[in-house]
Amino acid sequence: MDKMIHKAPVQPDIRKSRYDVIVVGAGLGGLSAATSLARSGRSVLLLERHNLPGGVATSFVRGRFEFEVSLHELSGIGQPEHQLALYRYLQELGVAQRIGFTPIPEMFRAVFPDLDLVLPVGVEAYEATVCAAFPHEAEGIRRFLGRVRDTMAEAWEAERLDSVPRMLRKLPSFHNLLRYITATWGTVLNRDVQDPKARAVLSQYWGYLGNAVSRAPFLYMSGVLMSYMRYGPVYIKGRSQALSNAFVAAFEGFGGELRLSTGVATITTTRGRVDGVVTERGERIAADVVISNGDPITTCNQLIGTENVPAGFFRSLRPRTVGPSSINVYLGLACPPEEVGLTSYANFVSEDYDQENHWEGMNEVVPPKAIAVTVYNVEEPAISPPGTTALTLTALSYGEPWTRILPEDYVATKTRIAQSMISLAERIAPNLREHIEVVEIATPITNMRYAGAQGGSIYGFDNHAFDHTVLRMSPVGPLGGLYFVGGWTQPGCGFEPCMMSGKLVAREIMRRSERK
Amino acid sequence: MSGVPKQLLHLLEDAAQAAKVGYTLLVEPHFREGNDYSSEAYRDSAQSVVKRFHTAKMALRVTEIIVDTATTKTLRLERTDGVLPHFEAGQYINLFVEIDGVKTSRPFTPSSRPGCGYLDVTVKESPGGFVSTYLLERTRVGDRFESTGADGHFHLDEITDRQELVFLAGGSGITPFMSILRDLVHRGWNKRVHLLYGCRVPDDVIFGAELAQLARDRPDQFRYSLVVSEPPAGYAGLTGLLDAALVRRQVGAPEASGSPGDRSYYVCGSRLMADYCRGELLDLGVPRHRIKLDLLGPPVDVTHEPDWPVEVAGDSERELDVPGRGRYRVRVGEPLMSSLERNGVVTPARCRSGSCGVCRAQVLSGQVFMPADTGIRESDKAHGYIHACVAYPLTDLVLKIPD
Repeated sequence: MDKMIHKAPVQPDIRKSRYDVIVVGAGLGGLSAATSLARSGRSVLLLERHNLPGGVATSFVRGRFEFEVSLHELSGIGQPEHQLALYRYLQELGVAQRIGFTPIPEMFRAVFPDLDLVLPVGVEAYEATVCAAFPHEAEGIRRFLGRVRDTMAEAWEAERLDSVPRMLRKLPSFHNLLRYITATWGTVLNRDVQDPKARAVLSQYWGYLGNAVSRAPFLYMSGVLMSYMRYGPVYIKGRSQALSNAFVAAFEGFGGELRLSTGVATITTTRGRVDGVVTERGERIAADVVISNGDPITTCNQLIGTENVPAGFFRSLRPRTVGPSSINVYLGLACPPEEVGLTSYANFVSEDYDQENHWEGMNEVVPPKAIAVTVYNVEEPAISPPGTTALTLTALSYGEPWTRILPEDYVATKTRIAQSMISLAERIAPNLREHIEVVEIATPITNMRYAGAQGGSIYGFDNHAFDHTVLRMSPVGPLGGLYFVGGWTQPGCGFEPCMMSGKLVAREIMRRSERK
Repeated sequence: MSGVPKQLLHLLEDAAQAAKVGYTLLVEPHFREGNDYSSEAYRDSAQSVVKRFHTAKMALRVTEIIVDTATTKTLRLERTDGVLPHFEAGQYINLFVEIDGVKTSRPFTPSSRPGCGYLDVTVKESPGGFVSTYLLERTRVGDRFESTGADGHFHLDEITDRQELVFLAGGSGITPFMSILRDLVHRGWNKRVHLLYGCRVPDDVIFGAELAQLARDRPDQFRYSLVVSEPPAGYAGLTGLLDAALVRRQVGAPEASGSPGDRSYYVCGSRLMADYCRGELLDLGVPRHRIKLDLLGPPVDVTHEPDWPVEVAGDSERELDVPGRGRYRVRVGEPLMSSLERNGVVTPARCRSGSCGVCRAQVLSGQVFMPADTGIRESDKAHGYIHACVAYPLTDLVLKIPD
């Protein structure tokens, strides 16, 4: 029984027809922007089509299991003695105070046909472990990781300067940043490290960005590696739904208004400016500013109307490509993790070392050759009932090939793919199949269904050497008063960048209104 | 190559790459390179792709009413706004009805198989049943309804199912099994199935002739055991409840997980029957992960739930305040969703069993009761969210409901 008496603020009875800001979509970008702006005293309406806030930062219940939808490892939090930017931001918003974090002491376990390596958190520890596994490459590995460290040190310093003029003045001293900002990870790595196995281990996080190692941006891959290596990842107590619910509580606490199960049909415009929205139920609501947490393609073509958007905007998107979606197999086991030999939280299991080929496979509906096996119970035992395990097998796949499956073949297809992923997971968890109590399969179609992005993309546009951090699409939209948040825009994809995109946009809006 | 020229080469390579990126971003778009996101190919939203795979709403029409037994009828429905979507045998639809001005809905598992061109909704009489009485007594051929698409997790699963399946059905809980069996007949059998069908009296048996015929046609693949709990004098068949002893006699003792004799058990019936059968199967030694239960609907009498506060009477009343909508007197023993519908407030509904979560609402002040098996998220619970279809007001409430 629920014995708690809740004291959430009672909502006003009358609905307004005009707000300072309307945010379309309550994914992490939308929640973050909405909360920041509500905190600054603006009247903010947050509209979400789904009956649940969070986008993919959500959870779902099957039987006695509650599964995490998407979060593997959260970056940007740090440790109590060294709090990082995202943590400080969440604290400012009153979100951090409403949730708890569980530190993950290991980066990951990497499993290849003849290699099984656990990578610890810590710059020296990580380097020592990789070097010990490949002593013949130790020198090159150290040189390469030195480049990664130096580049990121400069990138973080540039971020801290937090002002364009100051950054420009310091620019000549950012040698590595200047040199590598347009480099691909593969190019830089291949100069220093020759052994394909060592390259594969060093590139293991490629799936967190989803582009082929030969194309993924060096700067962003370095950022991912460095932030987990140096500060370690964390998980959120109560799953990522707790983060989304905490945002909603903070947002409503600042007087913001959230309407769930309310899709937006149109973003209205007059004379090249956005001026409000019309909901799917036909309600017209006015606002000076509209922030879209939807992908820019659907936002412009469907919500605003292609003809109302300057052609130059579409031209600027031309080089960019729609990023990958995911296949998730959520498993509830009727046994504790150690009974099937699962001892690490984050595991990457690959059929071979050819990560370039693993990416190729994402363009077809075929059994994935590389999966992540996230075993939440290892660090968060309370995530499922005593004596059970909640784990997720994740592979990446572009959404497009999935849209060509016949609906009547869909169940058989996703089952076949899930079976192959379970077989791959059985390399580290023998007989995993025998213990499955609950299984749920989510495909790119599922991502399209619940998050609504083009191609079911989970990372927005592909991360290319020409499409990351400052080179990514601007959050300032092509029409006056229109802004974008989420993985498609700056600073990039993933939990931390999506939340930071909301901060960026909120700050830009405040800056512009002060100038007026 | 010596170190210095190599370094130089790398520098040049990096400079060339920087130039290439500049070209890609600034020059190429003007030559119409890359993707034109304003073209037709990108105007189709993800939502329109999803519509091919998942149907949100369907318009249905009654084409035939089949009398199954003295207390059961099957409404045969056709879809009038498109072809019936593919679904998995055993999944349910939520059927929306309007009865004397009250808009409500009930989940039904079609007894027909997927792909047969119609949906059979089999309805059994239940004393005082608001919707069942309407469907049995006042529905005619030609009547129109709306429903959700098919949903739910009570269907066969290639990943977890063993070679041998045991179905335990109670009363009208036979419907998902009919759909599954008819689907197996249609697609080809790849399993061995033993159906234990529990009914109060022989007259309650639905689909009895079809099941008996199926057992005769496929003796190696399908066994059918009817079990009558209140047999008339001289009844010759199996009698009693679907208890551990009966399952052991009819099916055999459970065998080790992973062995050839390892079986999967599917249970569908009333809440009482399902709880009882699960307990019996566990007593028998069936591992918990081999037992699958269908959705059970709200409790028949919530005050009989194990952790119900005894001091609260089911027929007492509370005040429900829904800001922006109104204030209502509601009965403690009725789910909030039903009380709201009675007052003309229709909230999103699908499984009406506490599981799917589309009726997620937030208690702003007050206290509710939800059965222990409600599929509520841990953090939702901490923030005062409820699933209104199985939430009961213990105190006066202020409730925020979705639009």
